[in-house]
Amino acid sequence: MSKILALIMAQWRVMVSYRTQTLLSFGGLLFTVVPLYFVAGALQPVMANAIRTEGGDAFGFLLVGTSVIMVVTVALSAVPSALASGIASGTFEALLSTPTSMPTLVGGMSAFPLIMAALRAGVLLAAGAMFGVSMALGQLPLALLILLILVLAHVAIGLISGAMVLAFRTAGPLSRLVLVASSLLGGVYYPTHVIPSWLQAVSGVLPLSYGLRALRRVLLQGASLGAVAHDLLILVAETALLLALGVGLMSLAFRYARRQGTLAQY
Amino acid sequence: MEQPLIRVEGLVKSFPVPRSWAATLRHPLRGSRVEVLRGVSLEVRRGEFFGLLGPNGAGKTTLFKVLATLVQPDAGWVEVAGVDALQSPGAVRSLLTPVIADERSLNWRLTGAENLLLFAALYGVPARDREAAAWRLLDTIGLAEAAKRMVGTYSSGMKQRLLIARALLSRPTVLLLDEPTRSLDPVSARDFRKFLREEIAGRQGCTVMLATHDADEALELCDRLAVLHRGRLVAQGTARELAGIAGEHRYRIVVPRGQEALALETLSRRGLGTFAALAVADEAGWTSLAGELPGGMPASAEVMQHLAAAGVSIGEFARIPLPLADLIERLLPRGDPA
Repeated sequence: MSKILALIMAQWRVMVSYRTQTLLSFGGLLFTVVPLYFVAGALQPVMANAIRTEGGDAFGFLLVGTSVIMVVTVALSAVPSALASGIASGTFEALLSTPTSMPTLVGGMSAFPLIMAALRAGVLLAAGAMFGVSMALGQLPLALLILLILVLAHVAIGLISGAMVLAFRTAGPLSRLVLVASSLLGGVYYPTHVIPSWLQAVSGVLPLSYGLRALRRVLLQGASLGAVAHDLLILVAETALLLALGVGLMSLAFRYARRQGTLAQY
Repeated sequence: MEQPLIRVEGLVKSFPVPRSWAATLRHPLRGSRVEVLRGVSLEVRRGEFFGLLGPNGAGKTTLFKVLATLVQPDAGWVEVAGVDALQSPGAVRSLLTPVIADERSLNWRLTGAENLLLFAALYGVPARDREAAAWRLLDTIGLAEAAKRMVGTYSSGMKQRLLIARALLSRPTVLLLDEPTRSLDPVSARDFRKFLREEIAGRQGCTVMLATHDADEALELCDRLAVLHRGRLVAQGTARELAGIAGEHRYRIVVPRGQEALALETLSRRGLGTFAALAVADEAGWTSLAGELPGGMPASAEVMQHLAAAGVSIGEFARIPLPLADLIERLLPRGDPA
């Protein structure tokens, strides 16, 4: 844990050394909330009926969707990006030469962008609350648990892309494919039940569809664990499967790259 | 007899040869491989400064990467302090630290101190000791004053020293140095070699393995050397033994023009080496004689004494360093192309 913390601290120091970028990454969130507020206001009459099981408020619906997709985007790219930039910058070989296990290194290298994404999502939600979104704060622990599982599911997909980076120096199309599918069919901007039935099959395999629906019901309607148990169970099962696949492929890729002599080769 | 600290036995490693698009499309599954290490065996004793000498592409870096557990060999085994590197790579990484000579492996947006603090944690230094360990090393390498500056503002020499300090944080039993003076100017390289010999091998007591293509650097620094050529070990021995082969006996004597005949006649009469005048003209008024002179310092003293007695002035008397290519040529069996 202390090694992961040290890697996180180092990345924090690097980030704050870019002052303008740091300020803009948080200050820029205002440019998301304000337009979202006005667009949601305009869409409210059209959307109200479709989203009544997920809070009924278009602004709240879009705010949660936007916040979660922001975190999911980073979860998908954190591992492959950290590996690719570590390999390209030459720092990965130095990290590998320390008596630190691969899971610790990957965890430490990708945890920081995830923490920052979660913080930005928190700021976005807090700003939304100031603009009038009503959230069930008592259900915050359950909401955070759902978000954590959702992040793990997408980190697992990121692990598969990370394995591709280790073995073939390219993340491949998987993460992008999942991101595009999740953005369009995962219920970010409209509920999944309005999607044409033949596309609902795709929506039905996306972890985001289940996680986001459960999260909105918990956060915007104050639903209990029992009320979202069905979505949550599917999400947990998918996450477990994806994690097993991701960890297995990472381990295979690590061994392959060590055999090929390309582990840290640019 | 003490067990060797590092034992490498029959190490073989080959890599796939990159192919053109056309070749890959024609025969997707048919690829060729190039053997980079061909049955390398060597031993390094505790406390030794061991040199691995060879030209580019000899296999030095691959051998180091195998030792550092970053590359898995096709055959053979490696043992460090009795630990099997293939079975327990993690344990070996806590004994043996490679100095990644690439400056890019430092984090340029962090200060020197912050770089060391990060690696102190990764090397498992307890949190309460990290600051002290980092500052002690920064002081040792002479970077204490620049410690709070971003590494991006450091010179190449400073970065090289920081790379060494980073590796020393682990208090390694063995330090692997892969061409550490490659990017340094001659003065910085000289200071750096002095630092390696006195501080790292001397005061820190590290066993050091140095890979270099600079024969003079290897002979100056190392207790023992192995010469690697095209993946094979072509010679091993003490620096003195290899220096003998390398041409420690080759000397240049500069005498005033017109005295070369007298000098050559004096040396020949006394049976002191086999010298001849060089055809290439020297500085105005001076001529060089070059040749072999076995017998070390006593023979050198004798040459100077007899030349002086014969009335020959000596402008310069120096050993001629042998280029690495010539050294390898001498070490290779006949018929094996260098």
